[in-house]
Amino acid sequence: MTLTLFLGCTKRNEVENPYRIAVITMMQGGEFWGTLKNGARNARSETGTVLEFLAPINESDYEGQITCVQQAIDQKFDAMVLSPSHTTYLSPIVEKAQSKGIKIVLADTNLETSRGDFSITADYHQIGVEMAEHAFSLFNEEDPIKALVIGSLPNSTSMTKMVEGLVLAFGNRSNAQIGYATYSFTDESIAKKITKTTLEQDPKVNVVFALEENTAHGVVNALPQGKDFKIIAFGTTQYEVQLLEQEVIDALVVVNTFNMGYRSVKAAIDLLNGRKPIEKMIDHALVTKDTMFSEQNQRLLFQTLE
Amino acid sequence: MKKVVRLPQNWSIKTIVTIAIAVVSISFTLIIAAILYSEFSSTIKENATVSTREIVRQVNANLNYYINDIVTISGYARDLSKQTNELGKEQIEDKLTAILESRQDIVSLVLFDLEGRPLITTSDAPFRSPEEIVNQQWFSRAIGGEGNFYFTGPHVQQLSTSAYPWVITYSQQISYATDNGELKQGLLLIDMNFSAVSELCKTAKLGSTGYVYFIDNNGKIVYHPLQQLINSNILNEDLEAVNEHIFGTFINTFEGRERLVIIDTVNNARWRIVGVAFMDELMSGLNQFTTVMMVILLLCIAITIIIARTVSSWISRPIKELEHLMLSVEKRSFAAPPTVSGNQEVAALSQSFAIMVLRIRQLMDDIVKSQELKRKFELDALQAKINPHFLYNTLDSVVWMAEQNDTEGVIRMITALARLFRISISKGHDIITLSEELEHVRNYLIIQQTRYQDKFEYSITIEEDMKDLPTIKLIAQPIVENAIYHGIKYLQEMGHIDISVYRRKPGAVVVEIRDNGVGMNEETLSNILSFSANHPSNGNGIGVRNVHQRVQLYYGSDFGLEISSELDEGTLVRIVIPEGTPIHPIKVVKK
Repeated sequence: MTLTLFLGCTKRNEVENPYRIAVITMMQGGEFWGTLKNGARNARSETGTVLEFLAPINESDYEGQITCVQQAIDQKFDAMVLSPSHTTYLSPIVEKAQSKGIKIVLADTNLETSRGDFSITADYHQIGVEMAEHAFSLFNEEDPIKALVIGSLPNSTSMTKMVEGLVLAFGNRSNAQIGYATYSFTDESIAKKITKTTLEQDPKVNVVFALEENTAHGVVNALPQGKDFKIIAFGTTQYEVQLLEQEVIDALVVVNTFNMGYRSVKAAIDLLNGRKPIEKMIDHALVTKDTMFSEQNQRLLFQTLE
Repeated sequence: MKKVVRLPQNWSIKTIVTIAIAVVSISFTLIIAAILYSEFSSTIKENATVSTREIVRQVNANLNYYINDIVTISGYARDLSKQTNELGKEQIEDKLTAILESRQDIVSLVLFDLEGRPLITTSDAPFRSPEEIVNQQWFSRAIGGEGNFYFTGPHVQQLSTSAYPWVITYSQQISYATDNGELKQGLLLIDMNFSAVSELCKTAKLGSTGYVYFIDNNGKIVYHPLQQLINSNILNEDLEAVNEHIFGTFINTFEGRERLVIIDTVNNARWRIVGVAFMDELMSGLNQFTTVMMVILLLCIAITIIIARTVSSWISRPIKELEHLMLSVEKRSFAAPPTVSGNQEVAALSQSFAIMVLRIRQLMDDIVKSQELKRKFELDALQAKINPHFLYNTLDSVVWMAEQNDTEGVIRMITALARLFRISISKGHDIITLSEELEHVRNYLIIQQTRYQDKFEYSITIEEDMKDLPTIKLIAQPIVENAIYHGIKYLQEMGHIDISVYRRKPGAVVVEIRDNGVGMNEETLSNILSFSANHPSNGNGIGVRNVHQRVQLYYGSDFGLEISSELDEGTLVRIVIPEGTPIHPIKVVKK
């Protein structure tokens, strides 16, 4: 009996004194982050953990995210799930948090110097490759391809990895090139403007890669009528899905963000309990109109059940 | 080779009994505990299975109601669809909408014709093209036979392009009446959200995290309470095992957890309901039981050991006591042993031992008595030795004096002789006073002086306070006799015999007899001094040895005779006896 009491003392009673975990995304809105938070909430209701969601309004507000992390440190959270919007700016504050004993799980994006205590992400490099290869499959072999790539944040690892993948794949095809690679800072209007000007200036551009959902919205809105563009986009917004069905968007890349949110919180709890979280890449899929309602893909496209 | 375990032979009875009792009782306790445990665990398992099955059955019943409910609505819709010419499309739609508004679970109810065109609908959203509708699974599967209805599990409904709801679809081919009353085949669709089924599943509490889910006849999940987790690949369900078993109860291990799975078929829907309970949760009562049992078990073992010790010491205590008794007897303590109380056998043993000790003591007493008797006989024999030839000589002297008419001499002799004998006899007492002893010697000297006319003189001195000290009788007379026969007799001049009594510290009395006789050479002296019994020689020393033996027999080896002698000088004999408490002289009735 004493033994069980003793063992009981060594482990925190998670029912009476639940762990507090701050989930800090890149921004407050957005389908992607919403689904991630949904996953996190699901893990919460399963474990009884206390979650608090913190994020700046804009993804590009690095300072805002740093403030959020500082806030989490001040409020003495046990752990943080963080998607750093900048690979280097966030490093010092993350190290500070770690020095205070706060466990850091990096979700989706990483830091250049640190992996936090654990990191959960999708294989963005592979996603880049698959996007490019799918784009190639939409053209005849002899067709020249010139691409416009618009990411969201230039210093987030998810973007850089995807661009790397694209670059790699394009390097393997003789008459394909990435004509322009630029960033929208998650701003639909910037994406729209870039798309518009680029397409006007360079009529050779025949494929656009929109690596983020807001960017994709902007790209689509900028399309001139009647011209055949291939658009490969990232995201699962209803608008994107409808555009996919309407064949405006040729393919959507979907990451199991729900899973990412769920597993990040679980990983944080595992770390707090001294266990090793499971190392596994988040699954993703490239969905076309034909495959969007397959059993597997509809689960990825419509991640939140209502 | 058979190995025989040998117990050490030199263990104490207590240890052996303790171990025996402890081993037997503890094994019994353990066996009983094991039986109890297995009984209890199988009972718990059985109960858990029964209650889980009951819950699953309950959910099944509720699900049945629900399905019947949907079927009823579909029946109602079917009836309405046959009244199109009487009621009109709008009125039917209104009626159906009214039903749907009263329910949370039904998303939409639509009647399509077989080409996929919506005829009656409760939904405002624009429909997809008929081709798109017809190709969907819920549509295509229901076409073919009127009456059969199908449930299509969680899927994203593709009725319109403006919404992508997750629904469970009920689809059934029915006949409807066209505006002109013609009966045609159509397809009825009822889309349900998860609220009702999820409510059904929620009521089923199997342990703390167990759940109930539904699968269709293809073995695909229709609804799972953790559908969201299944959708995002976080949770997997062991459909393979479920499809293998089809129906009934089984226990298997999936993803590291032992689970109890109960499968039941659902009427009307060709679904199966699967209850999953986790054994560790179901058996949590067993852990508590195990803890309690372990505590009881430890207590039992402790008590057993205490009892074993108590019983064994209760059994071995009398034996130990007996052992102590025997040891004390071994050390020659023959005090009557108390009989040891205890169990029958030991009591009997102890009684026998007591009898034995008693008997030994009796025998020993007998030996002591016989030894004493023997000593007394020896003593008597030694005392008796004095008399015969002396008596003969004395009487010879008396005869001689009588012949000489020496009446006075005869009287003196006879008187002395009488006194001599009176003291010799002394009423059979061995112990007399010193004055009586000296009186005896005096009478003897008187007789001898008469026999050896003017041959010697004598003196006897004793302190007044020593007269009543006790001594064994007839110790001085043999020494005096010896002095006369071997010392004085050969003298030319006058002999002297001086007898004196004095004390010697500590606690000894010395009767000293000194003569001025011829003395002894060293050889004779050492012979006498060695007091060896086998030395007859010329009779010299027999009396001396006799006295010495008697004194030692009576008083112990600390006492006896001391003799010193020198040729032509004389002999000194000291009789050393212990100083006793004064006694009364033997009363002799004088004439």
